[in-house]
Amino acid sequence: MNYNFNWMVLWDYRELLIQGLIITLKLSITSIILSTVIGIILGILRLAKNLAVRLVASAYVEFFLNTPLIIQLFFWYFALPMIFPEPVQMWLWEHNYEFISAVIGLTIYTSTFIAEAVRAGIQSIDKGQQEAALASGLSDFQTMWYVILPQAIRVVIPPICNQFLNLTKNSSLAMTIAVPELTHQAQAIEALTFRGFEAFTAATLIYIALTITISLLMSRIERWSAKGQQIVTA
Amino acid sequence: MPDYNLNTEKPTISFKQVHKWYGKLHVLKNINEEIYSGEVVVVIGPSGSGKSTMLRCINGLENIQKGQLIVDGQEINHPKTDITKVRAEIGMVFQHFHLYPHMTVLENIMLAPLKVRRTPKNEAEKVASELLEKVGIPEKARSYPAQLSGGQQQRVAIARGLAMHPKIMLFDEPTSALDPEMIKEVLDVMKALAREGMTMIVVTHEMGFAREVADRVLFMDGGSIIERGTPEHFFTNPVEERTKTFLRQIL
Ligand SMILES: Nc1ncnc2c1ncn2[C@@H]1O[C@H](COP(=O)(O)OP(=O)(O)OP(=O)(O)O)[C@@H](O)[C@H]1O
Ligand SMILES: [Mg+2]
Repeated sequence: MNYNFNWMVLWDYRELLIQGLIITLKLSITSIILSTVIGIILGILRLAKNLAVRLVASAYVEFFLNTPLIIQLFFWYFALPMIFPEPVQMWLWEHNYEFISAVIGLTIYTSTFIAEAVRAGIQSIDKGQQEAALASGLSDFQTMWYVILPQAIRVVIPPICNQFLNLTKNSSLAMTIAVPELTHQAQAIEALTFRGFEAFTAATLIYIALTITISLLMSRIERWSAKGQQIVTA
Repeated sequence: MPDYNLNTEKPTISFKQVHKWYGKLHVLKNINEEIYSGEVVVVIGPSGSGKSTMLRCINGLENIQKGQLIVDGQEINHPKTDITKVRAEIGMVFQHFHLYPHMTVLENIMLAPLKVRRTPKNEAEKVASELLEKVGIPEKARSYPAQLSGGQQQRVAIARGLAMHPKIMLFDEPTSALDPEMIKEVLDVMKALAREGMTMIVVTHEMGFAREVADRVLFMDGGSIIERGTPEHFFTNPVEERTKTFLRQIL
């Protein structure tokens, strides 16, 4: 092997890497926020009293949980626009539809995992808590909001954190639908310079830095959420 | 039961031919009972006889399948009844306390008044503090449930049940999960409540409590009320064979 490393290309093409990182961040953060909101709602709906609501929520979760993410991305990107009339399609393409469809794909996919975590978290709370709250005159919603969720959140934060990490890593699949995120840009540098080793090493290190940052942030949040209850777990 | 209730007053709780099934299991069989304002009724009976189920039907934690159950003038199993309104008038105390672990003692007591009645915060806090005084642990207001003994937790649970100024208090084996030395402190609070005229239904095997404050005792077995009478009746001349057997075991 006589490959001559040339790490300078990374400096020469730093603009591309930085742009890629920014898109990856935008894509991940948008999808993290949306999938958390949708995931929590879905997780609660899966336990709803109403059978129809429960079935629809369960069908959504099972369907998207068991389909490969890349197929979902292709579907939102290639297939969905077809059902719209031409002017709408044009509008979509002019408005960064590749980014939008990547957000849709990552959000829906990840929300199913978050919904499962939330459901398990809620179910782990002693039934007596719900009974005591209902018996005192609280509505179903108030019982969930003031009594069950604050306790479930502690149980649910670690698995949700894992989903945030997965989402960030999965965002690299968006390159397949032409989103100029980090992996896409690393590949672009490779195409321009044939410096694949350097380009992908750089991308790898940036992903690791990202996931470590998320983990640290989440353990902060975890400690904060446990604060009021420290004595309970002691 | 005071005589003047007999004709002039409507019962606070009235079971009319009430039946309940869990799937195929027939757990309440033709329950007929009337409980009047200010009465203290103790329910005894072997495990699985349906005592908890009967209690939990009163505030709609369980549904009945047949018959009529009227509580505070409202038909519990009628689709038009707003069950949360009925529950707001009924306090309930559980065997395992079920205090909210993420809230302080004060917050536990204030939750329902704040959210259901929309009581102003300072007023809710005043009432909660008075109730803590009444159950004898004012100094624990800012503690979390896990920092309290079992007896203290149960007294907080009673205060929480009283916070909505209920017309009825339900107790499901409130002392069964407690160490013996803590049972008295909880029973004393309940006795005080009974003497103030609270309408109480208490599932318990504390016959000392029954003798001291109960107006009536109901003995349940196999989903039915087999025998009813004053505590004196149960101590001196129970009629049914099953009652006698049961009392021999617990006394
Ligand atoms: N949620 C439920 N689903 C199915 N069966 C139940 C349920 N809850 C109670 N049962 C059954 O109903 C019957 C009555 O139960 P219940 O809890 O009312 O008895 P209990 O008199 O309170 O007994 P204990 O003294 O053990 O508390 C029992 O056979 C019990 O197994
Ligand atoms: Mg019971």
